[in-house]
Amino acid sequence: MIANRILLADDDVELCEMLAEYLERDGFAVSQAHDGAAALEKARSGNHDLVVLDIMMPKMSGLDVLRELREESLIPVLILTARGDDVDSVVGLELGADDYLAKPSNPRVLVARIRAILRRAENNATQTESSPSGAPLKVEDIELFRGSRKVLRDGKPVPMTSTEFGVLEALLQHAGQVISKAELSVEVLGREMSRYDRSLDMHVSNLRKKLGPRGDGDERIKTVRGVGYLYTINENE
Amino acid sequence: MNSLFFKIFVSFWLTLVLFAGSAIWLASNYLDDVRSEHNTSGLHERMASYSQEAREIVNSGNLAALKQWLTQLDHHEPIPILLIDQHGEELLGRPVPARIVRRMARWNHQLEDNDDDHEHRHRHRGRRLVVSPDGTRYWLAPDYQSITLGRVLKRPHVIAIPVLLATLIGGLVCFALARYLTAPLGRLKQATERMASGELSHRVTPGMRGRKDEIADLAEGFDFMAERLEQLVGSHKQLLRDASHELRSPLARLQVALGLTRQRADASLDTELDRIERETERLNELIGQLLSLARLESGGIATNKTEIDLELLLKEITEDASYEARANNKDVKLELSSEGTVTGDEVLLHSAIENIVRNAVRYTAPDTQVEIVLKKDAANSSYRISICDHGPGVPEAMLPHLFEPFVRVAEARDRESGGYGLGLAIAHQAIRLHQGSITASNLPGGGVCMEIALPAENRNER
Repeated sequence: MIANRILLADDDVELCEMLAEYLERDGFAVSQAHDGAAALEKARSGNHDLVVLDIMMPKMSGLDVLRELREESLIPVLILTARGDDVDSVVGLELGADDYLAKPSNPRVLVARIRAILRRAENNATQTESSPSGAPLKVEDIELFRGSRKVLRDGKPVPMTSTEFGVLEALLQHAGQVISKAELSVEVLGREMSRYDRSLDMHVSNLRKKLGPRGDGDERIKTVRGVGYLYTINENE
Repeated sequence: MNSLFFKIFVSFWLTLVLFAGSAIWLASNYLDDVRSEHNTSGLHERMASYSQEAREIVNSGNLAALKQWLTQLDHHEPIPILLIDQHGEELLGRPVPARIVRRMARWNHQLEDNDDDHEHRHRHRGRRLVVSPDGTRYWLAPDYQSITLGRVLKRPHVIAIPVLLATLIGGLVCFALARYLTAPLGRLKQATERMASGELSHRVTPGMRGRKDEIADLAEGFDFMAERLEQLVGSHKQLLRDASHELRSPLARLQVALGLTRQRADASLDTELDRIERETERLNELIGQLLSLARLESGGIATNKTEIDLELLLKEITEDASYEARANNKDVKLELSSEGTVTGDEVLLHSAIENIVRNAVRYTAPDTQVEIVLKKDAANSSYRISICDHGPGVPEAMLPHLFEPFVRVAEARDRESGGYGLGLAIAHQAIRLHQGSITASNLPGGGVCMEIALPAENRNER
């Protein structure tokens, strides 16, 4: 199996080198970038499976890199935010980051997050090969192709990150039922939900924006306060 | 001339001199006026009406009434008016000056001459003849020479107007002076209170409107002090923030280095490495707390405002805390005597209350419980959440300092229980950002009660 290629973008050169060594020992292929501009350039090359992006970088902040990157690529991105700075993580997730991690944290946690994101992306990829013409998951006007990671609304493709894809997949599977946040967290993000983790809210909010309201003007994904989310289906049909 | 000392000195001195001078001048003028001939035309008319009244009373033959009338007349008339009978005795027994006795002889003489013309010619002298039905003759005569200052001042209608004026004008002047002196002091006092409550950017000079005296100097000095204080506190906070920030980079490297060590090391080092990892985590947490405190204190937090259901929030906190408490034979009980909704940052408020509850669980004695009560105050204007433990309590003198960063009540106990001394400070700041307040008090039977007040939503305002 080919090693997953990780792009590590952080301006702390020493930290970057140690982290690269750590990740290589865990079986990843790592390349580094030490400022925002270099990170963007390398991320655009298409030679990586995942980008670990520090928010605070010279020349171009991680958030700017993410914004520009998302205009052309859906490559999985994990952002590193300053500990306790919730604003950055919220903005990052809004811009389409797949997940975030507060810095400093244990490198073990970083590896676990990277693996969870890659697993989502790979799941989709393997399914393509096994069932190239796999029947799409279809709920009303939305068609979700597990294999090709494509989502169509009224036959038109809607681009989304692998995490957003995962969230939508889980929601569609349970369409018409409430799925709890805890369940979603384990199923999609691959970790236990911690209180006030806003990641899921942000991914769902991104999905709402991308998919728009239902044909009858109703909200597509409803928040059930204190419980979870509900993908609504037209019950009259 | 701008000195306050000079202002007070001159105003008091001038007032006293002016008052004394004008009082003496007015009194002597008045006295002169009463004595002088200027006043006689007025006196003439008064004498005419007095003699008329006297005649009426004399005609009724009531001597007692006459005496009473004369006493009353003496009360309101600044000039003593004597009623003298033909033996030269004054009716009220007042001494009759020799001058009048002498003149009276002449008047009697003239009267006996029955010289009416003469009588008319001497009208201006003021005397009047009153004859009783039984033929007794009385002379009603003004005694100019006996007017004294004391006598004049004793007549209420003479003294009333000047006293009233002095009271009014003096009162107004003194009121203005007192206001002028104390108003800026009031502003200064307010400023010190605002500084004490943490509003270090407050200044008083702008409120002095071009004053130039000792009070303005004091205000300037105060502002200078406030400025220095603000700088010092600011740089202190900045230092804390910067230091915490800078500490994170080495800590991040330390964690990765630790991870690398773990990858290479064999299992024999696991205990030590676990230990290092735990301590690193604690350091990490402490730095995180310091940074969030710094952010809360600067108030510049982008609060994520939502409606918070206090009932739900407290239930969640109680559930989590009692789970941990039970492991140590303690319990947490929630009593809801009201429901409540506030607007604010749920994460912030949750961690603030959770901090306080965890603290209470830490200090409450084994086999006791922590009581959380939510209620609305009498005026329905705020929610009160009280969190009481049954621990050893806190020394009374320490109570107001509980919410300061790194305060330790009892050195040994806190270290043992692993407190960082920041949890309550963060909770305090978070509650302050919600326009709330938090106070601590000791329970009579031992233990501490923390009471959080949060302003209730005014539905009409929204």
